[in-house]
Amino acid sequence: MPAIEVAGLERAFGEVLAVQGIDIAVAEGEIYGFLGPNGAGKTTTVRMLTTLLLPTGGTASVAGHDVVAEARQVRSSIGVALQEAALDPLMTGRELIRLQATLQGLPPASGRKRADGLLERVGLSDAAERRVGTYSGGMQRRLDLAAALVHEPRVLFLDEPTTGLDPVSRKTIWEEVRALNDDGTTVFLTTQYLEEADQLADNVGIIDSGRIVAEGTPEALKGEVGRPHLELLVGEGAVQEAERACAGLGKLLPPKDGKRVLLEVENGAADIPRVVIALDEAGVAVESLELVRPTLDDVFVAKTGYHLEEEEDAGAKEAEPA
Amino acid sequence: MSDLASTARVVRALGARSIRQTFRRPQLISPIIVFPTLLLAIQTGGAGAGVELPGFPPVQSFLQFMLAGSMMQAMMLAGNSGGIAFAVDIEMGFTDRLFAAPIPRFAIVLGRLAGTAALGLFAALWFLAIGLIFGAEIEGGVPGALLAIALITASALAVGGIGAAIALRSGSASVVQGLFPLVLVVLFLSSAFFPQELMIEPARTIAEYNPLSFIVEGVREPIISGIDATHTLEAVAAIAGIIILGLVLSARALQHRLRVG
Amino acid sequence: MEATATAPAWRANLATILALMARTRNEIIRVPGAAIPGVLAPTIFFLGLNGVFGALTQLSGFETGSYESFIVPVSMLQGAGFTGAAAGVNLARDYERGWVDRLLVSPAPRWVLLTGNVLAASARAFVPATFVLAIAFALGAQWPGIDGLVICFAMVAATAAIAACWGSMLALRFKSQSAAPLMQAGMMGLILLTPAYAPLALLQPWLEKVASVNPLTEVVEAARQGFVGSVTWSGTWPGLLALAGLLLVLGALALREMRRTNV
Repeated sequence: MPAIEVAGLERAFGEVLAVQGIDIAVAEGEIYGFLGPNGAGKTTTVRMLTTLLLPTGGTASVAGHDVVAEARQVRSSIGVALQEAALDPLMTGRELIRLQATLQGLPPASGRKRADGLLERVGLSDAAERRVGTYSGGMQRRLDLAAALVHEPRVLFLDEPTTGLDPVSRKTIWEEVRALNDDGTTVFLTTQYLEEADQLADNVGIIDSGRIVAEGTPEALKGEVGRPHLELLVGEGAVQEAERACAGLGKLLPPKDGKRVLLEVENGAADIPRVVIALDEAGVAVESLELVRPTLDDVFVAKTGYHLEEEEDAGAKEAEPA
Repeated sequence: MSDLASTARVVRALGARSIRQTFRRPQLISPIIVFPTLLLAIQTGGAGAGVELPGFPPVQSFLQFMLAGSMMQAMMLAGNSGGIAFAVDIEMGFTDRLFAAPIPRFAIVLGRLAGTAALGLFAALWFLAIGLIFGAEIEGGVPGALLAIALITASALAVGGIGAAIALRSGSASVVQGLFPLVLVVLFLSSAFFPQELMIEPARTIAEYNPLSFIVEGVREPIISGIDATHTLEAVAAIAGIIILGLVLSARALQHRLRVG
Repeated sequence: MEATATAPAWRANLATILALMARTRNEIIRVPGAAIPGVLAPTIFFLGLNGVFGALTQLSGFETGSYESFIVPVSMLQGAGFTGAAAGVNLARDYERGWVDRLLVSPAPRWVLLTGNVLAASARAFVPATFVLAIAFALGAQWPGIDGLVICFAMVAATAAIAACWGSMLALRFKSQSAAPLMQAGMMGLILLTPAYAPLALLQPWLEKVASVNPLTEVVEAARQGFVGSVTWSGTWPGLLALAGLLLVLGALALREMRRTNV
């Protein structure tokens, strides 16, 4: 039985359809990466699967229980670390985990034991008696993660667990997620970071404007997009001329910024000389040239027509309704 | 003269901003109007039989007596609210922008006070309207009503100066907000809600010397009996005293703010 | 992976309620001065109203010559209302910060989560009530007897619970601290639209009518009886009934809102 099974799941907020009939199947013991820009419907989906939001259409089950009809059983089986690490700044780390243990219905003795063990696991033993308000962002995320694990859930939901963290803290969280998965926990992870999905996920679902536009293993998805492309950094204002020179040598992709030409090539590195010669003959100065293999961003571009990373930079999308 | 004209322009512009800011946020206005209105209803309903006590001034009704006190309460809350708004400007860095501009420093404070005065004016009009709707008569007629409005508006300016001084000194909205209980204490220790002669000691003695009592009596007299020069002059003197205090405190606090940034 | 073994349901629910009550204690203990506003407001009102309206006892119809004795139960109930409404404000703040999601995602029943918040308010209401009472005694208020004292404090605790249900209902409905004035004003209105300032017969006609139908009137009279006279069962049971009714209605409404947070 899948750990998470979703069929035609929908959520409307008035006229706005934030999630438009998505289907997902996550196997037991899998890490599923749910990738998409801000406002795509990731958090709304997670809130439905964790019973915080009622679907307005479709069905979903988590750990074998329907999220609407058997909500309480779902809550007993899941651990959740939401986008905002919802912590009480006045509590100490130890108090918070013990409270979480109580909320999960653990007997006091085993709750205390679990709390101590988890604090050690996430490297917060020394800070356990300090108030959460004094913790750094990375420490708060680790505490949130520990709290989500106190009852050894079957399925763990992580909503953008590393957003806003420095690279070192992000790596620590990744290591912890892998370790959890090695222990058998199913992980449903939402992220807007391609590298995170690429590194961690067994399967990736890409969501955009409330619809799943692609799904599969990272390798399979990248393989669909197919070919590597050349990234050519040309001078200011030379992009259009460069594109004219390269037309016919490969497939021009949507530009990433105002200075880079992206050209998909059939034969990889073997096509580089032709391209360089064409640009030279056109009088276009090339500052740098890189052969780039397909990434999940390329998959995203292929499915949506724009870059996920560009969307992050532009911040064009509205935030998802809470 | 041109300096005065340009200062007046600045004060007008900042005053307009302050007034717009005040009236665009119902959550700022409603506590100033709703709370005193609720208290007016409850106190007139609950303590209204007090007009039968020997020594109570001759009034048409307890509502008529209480209107001045409610106006004072709203005015004091407006002063507190103006101080909070000023402190928020300081916290957000908006006043730094003003300090960096080639405008007289004190115009910044005066502009803020314009918003407070507008709120005081609104409060005076509101309670006069409430009084008239529920049957209270303004014995001093239109001149009496205008005098009451003028005194309340001037008081708002005066109390606003103290609020501005606290905001400039502390730079913190929560500090100014924390003074709200003090507003109530000062009001209770005046003749805002009951004749000073019928209050219980030590409140009675404190009320006798409390400048707010003089202002309240100055506002009340035109409502319950007619314009009286003595009460009016005493009220004006009390207001002037608070204005001077507010000016001195604001000037010092402004210097402090400019020094520490 | 198998989930860790859990305690029996009744024990888990009780532990959750106690844990949530313990958490709210942090507000007072760990934030310097946090308890002051809750104590200051009813104290100022008590002292202020006593100083201003104390002469009303000269009117015939007052059962006592001591206005402190007459008004202290009202101030204690006001403190309870303030404390309960503050519980609603804190819940709204918790909602804005995402903390409520943490509670809602747990398997703890919704009524357990609400009960923790409400009982915490009831317990905290003892602080301002005791403070105001001490001041009243210092000013010469009549000793109400042990029975009068117990009844008064029971009314205080239950009124705080009612106020917390009211505040929680609004917090979960509006999901924002901007509903705070409505929480406070609602309770203030309910408590003061009673024979708060004077006996029922001395109120203005409109307020006498309103107070006659306001269930809190029975609560005020029951809380006051020891301070102005003797405690009787006939003076007590209407107050208990009123509290039970209000708790039932407001508790149900608050629970309904808690269950609808995911709609």
